Amino acid sequence: MAARAVPNIMKQGKLAPWLYLLPALLVMGFFIVYPMINTISLSFSNKDGTASAATTCVEGRTCWGIFENYRYALTAEIDSSSVGSFWSSFWRSSYGNTLKWIVLMVSGTVGLGLLFAVLADRVKYEALAKAIIFMPMAVSFVGAGIIWKFVYDFGTQQVQIGLLNAIITGLGFEPVAFLSVPQLNTIALIVVGVWIWTGFCMTILSAAIKSVPDEILEAARVDGATEMTVFWRIMVPIISPTIMVVITTMVINVLKLFDIVYVMTGGNFGTDVIANRMYTEMYVNFNVGRGTAVAVVLVLAIIPFIYFNIKRFLAQEEIR
Amino acid sequence: MSKMLKLFTGLLLVSLVLAACGGTATETMPEETISDEMCMGAAPGDELSLLYQWSGQEEERLNQILQPLVDTCGIVLKPESTRDQALLDTRVQAGTPPDVAFWQVTQLVQYQDQLQAMDELGADRASYSDFFLDPMTINGRWLGLPIKADIKTIIWYSPATFDALGYSVPTTWDELDALVEQMVADGNVPWSMGLESGDATGWTGSDFIQDILLVQQGPDYVNGLIDGSIPYDDAGVAQAYETYGKWAKDPAYTVGGAQGTLSTAFLAAIYKPFSDPPEAMMVKQSGFAGGEVKTQFPDLVYGTDYDFFVVPGAQGLQGGVEPMMAFNDTPAVRALVTYLASPEGGAAWAAAGFDLSPNKNGEGNYTDPALIKKAEAFYNTQGFTPDIGDSIPGGFGSAEWTAIVDFLNDGDLATALAQAAAVQAEALK
Repeated sequence: MAARAVPNIMKQGKLAPWLYLLPALLVMGFFIVYPMINTISLSFSNKDGTASAATTCVEGRTCWGIFENYRYALTAEIDSSSVGSFWSSFWRSSYGNTLKWIVLMVSGTVGLGLLFAVLADRVKYEALAKAIIFMPMAVSFVGAGIIWKFVYDFGTQQVQIGLLNAIITGLGFEPVAFLSVPQLNTIALIVVGVWIWTGFCMTILSAAIKSVPDEILEAARVDGATEMTVFWRIMVPIISPTIMVVITTMVINVLKLFDIVYVMTGGNFGTDVIANRMYTEMYVNFNVGRGTAVAVVLVLAIIPFIYFNIKRFLAQEEIR
Repeated sequence: MSKMLKLFTGLLLVSLVLAACGGTATETMPEETISDEMCMGAAPGDELSLLYQWSGQEEERLNQILQPLVDTCGIVLKPESTRDQALLDTRVQAGTPPDVAFWQVTQLVQYQDQLQAMDELGADRASYSDFFLDPMTINGRWLGLPIKADIKTIIWYSPATFDALGYSVPTTWDELDALVEQMVADGNVPWSMGLESGDATGWTGSDFIQDILLVQQGPDYVNGLIDGSIPYDDAGVAQAYETYGKWAKDPAYTVGGAQGTLSTAFLAAIYKPFSDPPEAMMVKQSGFAGGEVKTQFPDLVYGTDYDFFVVPGAQGLQGGVEPMMAFNDTPAVRALVTYLASPEGGAAWAAAGFDLSPNKNGEGNYTDPALIKKAEAFYNTQGFTPDIGDSIPGGFGSAEWTAIVDFLNDGDLATALAQAAAVQAEALK
């Protein structure tokens, strides 16, 4: 009689957990797993997905058989006839440009975000300052692209409607075609990306800075540490896990970046990035095989960063 | 049934008499009647489903053209207007295609197994020049009825500005070249060019270069590029690029030089010869530019303030022809195909002013002054070439644009053309 009656609801078979998971699994399977598998299989097919990619090989040219679309995705933009041409074509290819984006935009957004977070921490009108810097994040990327397209506008008339060229010609210099001069144009696009994303980095880093214990900071100052020393030796090490998370998040964002390039140059004039190239192959050239191959390359490039991000996340969970 | 037929024959007779009486009138309206035979056995009440991309005024014009089929044969039109090609694709894949679709030439290839042959539906081959039918013939079957065309080989200018500065419209390529040099000597910028067009940046350049090819090499050469018998890095193409580049890269010849050409939006380039004061003297752009000028400068009058001339010395024209394709073989479809390919159909199309009708019988039936001028070049051309980039599948179009943009951006011409030629070879292997 001592045995306590267990309510029926507590008695669950092996099936019950799966039933709870089922809706989520169905949705995930249908919208994530199935498209992923389909994309990978299409990347081994021809331009309309009706035959193997091997059938698209041209006699007398290098061909990777079933991996033909990957040969195209990886080598078509690169001129490997000599070291010099390899170098110059790489930096105009979507891969070279994406690399520029990663280096400049991630360092730009995280660096500026950190700077603004620290500075805003010390002023009375912190909320206002942060709100202003965060504001571009509220503008849609397409809208931001269009706004900046006007800022960079290169007019052939005396009157420059572009803000930057109006200033440049006002100072007596020749107008600059920011969006069509190679190399300069990619930098001009990255500036737009930094403008949009700095607020995001700043907000997260600012929260991290607020969580740095005041006692440590005060102790350091009492011991005679300068503000620079406090920042580099105390603040940065303490918030470094957050900085790493922000960096990896930004790298993933930049790898997927599409809107700014599509709206402002359409990937022309040597500004193409991987995500825009995927779009071009898919919806301008209507080559499903090549488009999906570029997509798979992009996914493979992102996976290490996602893995790193998840590992960080789990490590932080354990600390709590 | 027979009663209905009698009624229709009666109506037909009455309208014939009316048309005969109206023959003396100055207005040359199309005869809005067709013979009963042309109904091809379609009975009153037969439905005909149509799918097209037109709307508004375009749709009204089409209705005007098709009215005789409704009046005489009693065919009930079931039109559907969409710009979404996915709708057509879905319908065809689901096995419920429209009876006829007015779409692009690429769909003739895509749906060649589902389409009906035009000659079997009663279309008269004699109404069309061979160079219109060749692109519509897939694997030996005539699948598309060339229905509507526009020409790109034209240059827009301001007659008022030309008069004021003492320039006259050139009639040969050498005269055009001399005119351009004269303008430069006078300190006027001859050309307004603009390549910027989002992810299609470069297409206005490819149009210009194709016209130069038509002048320097002729339509057979252009068709050779399209079928791959001539590689895109051929000396003739390089020559055309050099000719184009001489103008497009130099601020004396084009507004803003190379960077002006690259950065200016194609629409903005259309406006420049017509602004006050004009920034340039001429802009090479397709027929639609006239409408854009009218919208931007409502006060300007066609013929005095803006007008066009056909690229002088071009041996053939460049332009787009839209096909009509038939998915079903019904009496109503036969009636439509027979009618549109007939002298009456061609005349009605021209009279409606719905661009140009490739049907030879359209000649002489245009009323719009711009169309009359275009028609003169159109019906006397030695050849008609589609856009090279649009005609070669597999990304050649964007490869061609890239070549032009790289070339203007001080890239090496041989390298730029070699890359486009590689894409061309791959696409047409």
